[in-house]
Amino acid sequence: MTSRKNKKYYLKAATHAVLVLFAIIAVYPVLQVVTISLRPSDKLLSTSLEIIPENATLKSYISLFTDQPFLLWVRNSALVSITVTLTGVALASMSGYAFSRFNFIGRRMGLLSLLLTQMFPATMLLLPMYLMLIYLGLINTYLGIIITYTATALPFCIWTMKGYYDTIPVSLEEAARIDGCNQFEAFYRVILPLAAPALVITGLFSFMTAWSEYIVAAQILQDTALWTLPLGLKSFEANMSTEWGLYGAASLIVMVPVVVLFLVLSRWLVSGLTLGSVKG
Amino acid sequence: MNKFYRNIFIFIFAAPAFIVLIGVVFYPFIYNVVISFSNMNLSHIKDWHIVGPKQYVKVFTEPTEPTFFVIFLKTVIWTVVNVTFHVVLGVFLALLLNQKIRGRSVYRTLLILPWAIPQYIVALTWRGMFNYQYGSINLIITKYLHLPAVEWLKNPEEAFLSCILTNVWLGFPFMMVVALGALQSIPQELYEAADIDGASWYKKLTSITIPLIRPVMIPAITLGIVWTFNNLNIVWLVSNGGEPSDKTHILVSFVYKAAFNLYRYGYAAALSMVIFFILLVMSLTFMKSTKATEAAY
Amino acid sequence: MRIHKITYCFLLLLSFIPLSCTVKRDLNRVVIWHQMRVDERVILESQLKKFMEHHPGVRVEAIYKETEELRSGFIVAAIAGQGPDLVYGPSDQVGPFQVMNIIYPLEDLFGSEYLSKFNPKALTRYMGHLYQIADKLGNHLTLVYNKKLLERPPETDEELIEMGKKLTVDLNGDGTIDMYGLVWNYTEPYFFIPFMTGFGGWVMDDNGNPTLDNPGVVDGLKFIKDLRDKYKIIPAEADYNIADALFKDGKAAMIINGDWSWSGYRKAGIDIGIAPLPKIIKTGLWCAPMVSPKGFSINITVPKEKLPLVAEVVKFLMEPANQLETARQLNTMPTRVELYEDPFIKNDDILRNSQIQIERGRPMPVVPELRAIWDAMRPSYQAVLGGVISPEQAARDMQRLALRKIAEMNE
Repeated sequence: MTSRKNKKYYLKAATHAVLVLFAIIAVYPVLQVVTISLRPSDKLLSTSLEIIPENATLKSYISLFTDQPFLLWVRNSALVSITVTLTGVALASMSGYAFSRFNFIGRRMGLLSLLLTQMFPATMLLLPMYLMLIYLGLINTYLGIIITYTATALPFCIWTMKGYYDTIPVSLEEAARIDGCNQFEAFYRVILPLAAPALVITGLFSFMTAWSEYIVAAQILQDTALWTLPLGLKSFEANMSTEWGLYGAASLIVMVPVVVLFLVLSRWLVSGLTLGSVKG
Repeated sequence: MNKFYRNIFIFIFAAPAFIVLIGVVFYPFIYNVVISFSNMNLSHIKDWHIVGPKQYVKVFTEPTEPTFFVIFLKTVIWTVVNVTFHVVLGVFLALLLNQKIRGRSVYRTLLILPWAIPQYIVALTWRGMFNYQYGSINLIITKYLHLPAVEWLKNPEEAFLSCILTNVWLGFPFMMVVALGALQSIPQELYEAADIDGASWYKKLTSITIPLIRPVMIPAITLGIVWTFNNLNIVWLVSNGGEPSDKTHILVSFVYKAAFNLYRYGYAAALSMVIFFILLVMSLTFMKSTKATEAAY
Repeated sequence: MRIHKITYCFLLLLSFIPLSCTVKRDLNRVVIWHQMRVDERVILESQLKKFMEHHPGVRVEAIYKETEELRSGFIVAAIAGQGPDLVYGPSDQVGPFQVMNIIYPLEDLFGSEYLSKFNPKALTRYMGHLYQIADKLGNHLTLVYNKKLLERPPETDEELIEMGKKLTVDLNGDGTIDMYGLVWNYTEPYFFIPFMTGFGGWVMDDNGNPTLDNPGVVDGLKFIKDLRDKYKIIPAEADYNIADALFKDGKAAMIINGDWSWSGYRKAGIDIGIAPLPKIIKTGLWCAPMVSPKGFSINITVPKEKLPLVAEVVKFLMEPANQLETARQLNTMPTRVELYEDPFIKNDDILRNSQIQIERGRPMPVVPELRAIWDAMRPSYQAVLGGVISPEQAARDMQRLALRKIAEMNE
């Protein structure tokens, strides 16, 4: 009896040890960025290993909010990212369902073509995308960016949703239909809640795609009033005279919404939902 | 009647996504195909014309240093090593985090930070950590492990390794999140039944966990392969554009240099098409062997 | 079912057509794309504000893009018939832009009388026409030294080595060097140029052909290697950020860096002195860095009616008062000849030394071939430093690769 208890104890301790180790590995470079943001002079590197540098100052953070239109960038990025997330989740959850549950002409091709869109090096698509967006009048508009980002995020989202739906037995929908739901209600009321973890992944991914994307935004947005966070951050950057203090501070603040979003959503990610409602 | 409504249903559900995709990706793709057969470069930027497969011939035969095949091989190694570690670490950590332990949400939050932080500054921070004299990695190696310092960025092999280490660090949180989601689809009863049957942890892992997270992991892995293969940023930033001596390149960073440094857009377009076909073959093979496109029934 | 999908696709394609025509250019809105650092931008914004006060109804907007992106972004935009009205950057942009035919010739728009007021080095001509007017001259490397660690800067290479050796010390006796005599981004070809010229070499001849296989290059390479391996006054591994950090931490007595970096060092609290790069005793030549003006070019897609307004903006920013203000705040060298008599310019310690260095420097070539030369130099240069090949071999390789890359670029 005690040996099993001991074994459990050791396992738990080992689990914690491993997690702590990885947490340190994950956090250490981030701490370096904290140090960079607190240094009074713009230094990316330093010869000292201290986390809190001497003469640490919050000057960069203050400057970020007073001298730079940081809050404007946050607002713009939030607007774009939230829209992309909602659109992405909506479209992906529906498409993934169709691919998972039905066999239709072009199903296989459709799935494969989703993959194909990811295989092309993005830098090569810039010129034609720019030409096309000008033609459509979407240059310098949020609509242009939102459409592009959604298109970028969709393939992964659709595939993930499809994969997750595949693990949910069809018998559940059949049971719902017998109870009087039509196909759409079965989808909306029964299957979708069960696919919550996949929706979380999809949502996070769409958000991250829009929140941190730079190349397309730089190409499309020409007005500084429309700048999103990545563009704003880039303006601190120069080949040989980057404002590291500002860049570090901004990078850390940029992380916060992502982490907050993750915290909020992880409730559904690790909820331990069971699918035991229909046996066999 | 039923069949008709069924088809409408499918259409409404699947079509909008595709319309967006086709619009955004199709035209640039075709454009690139056309350019790859042209002579678009510095002197022919507006008045380019089709010259046939000349650029493709150049891609394979030009005496670049390193050669196309060497870079290709490096890209394959880069992709395989990175994705393997991303998935193994991601699944491993997800399994640990899926248990009821104290401080679970703290760990989860900390472990997701590499994904959340902007890549540019963190890649350069890693580059700084690899510095021979002042970087934290060598300092830890010499002071705490009492091993000789490594010249991370000076030699091609170590430089490549530095890029890989940085990218593994950046990529495992994503796989961890996907794995966490995938683990939720496994009914608890299966584990309970296995426990009653006296199964070892290994058996449970290989018979229950891995097969059941596959449907969700496969898309992530496939796309992970594609994204890693084409990930320009990290290699470029950590090696400072291919240093030493242009030896630390993968195919996409090489394209970038060709296109944007010397304005050889036709050549770069052809090289991009070649990259595309390589990836196409790789992914199709992968998906066929894992039967990823099958539906639920 | 198929019919549904086909009709939908067709309707979709149709809808693409009327959605837009080309974006009309606003005749009262001038857009400038630049790559100015943050402190340069602040001054630009304030000067533009003054311009808009003098010209009600006109809006001038300045958008920052990082140098490489500025170049590629401008090319993409201009080819598509879009882009800013003015593009601001270093003079080497002019070559590619001219070949691609995306910038206007400027000599008629501004007139020779106006242009005669400027330092000829600030007017970038290529293929017989003027394509860029600069408001700043420089972008040059100089010797920057920490006055607390070094009283008098070296004037010759022998002095440099001697002082460097005295200043490269292991302060706490733990076996690792704590302070270096000299640091700089020596692995990047641009930062190698001064030593190439000091030993008599140069990157190309008057026709744009590379001249990398010459004794000047070989001796320059040997010199740098010796600094690291023989005299040991520079660190074993140094890129831009490492050298910058060492100097800002007070762990280096001297650094070779450009005029863009000086205000950053002062901000970091280092009491810096600027000195021209030393003379090489063996050849009797001064180390000559590349000097380049930074200025404005006009996008060829600007409609003819708008050109006068765009020229107005440029002329305003080039007014003596504005150039002087910029010089005061940023230690950059102005381009109006009359300002060289200004007491501030003449007496300021940093500007005086900067001026000397500019006089001794060589203008950066604007031909597109220069990019091919940089790309050709880098691998061999780094291989020499890595001890993989000899300097003689490297010079030969560089020349061979440069010729090949130029041929590829011009096919």
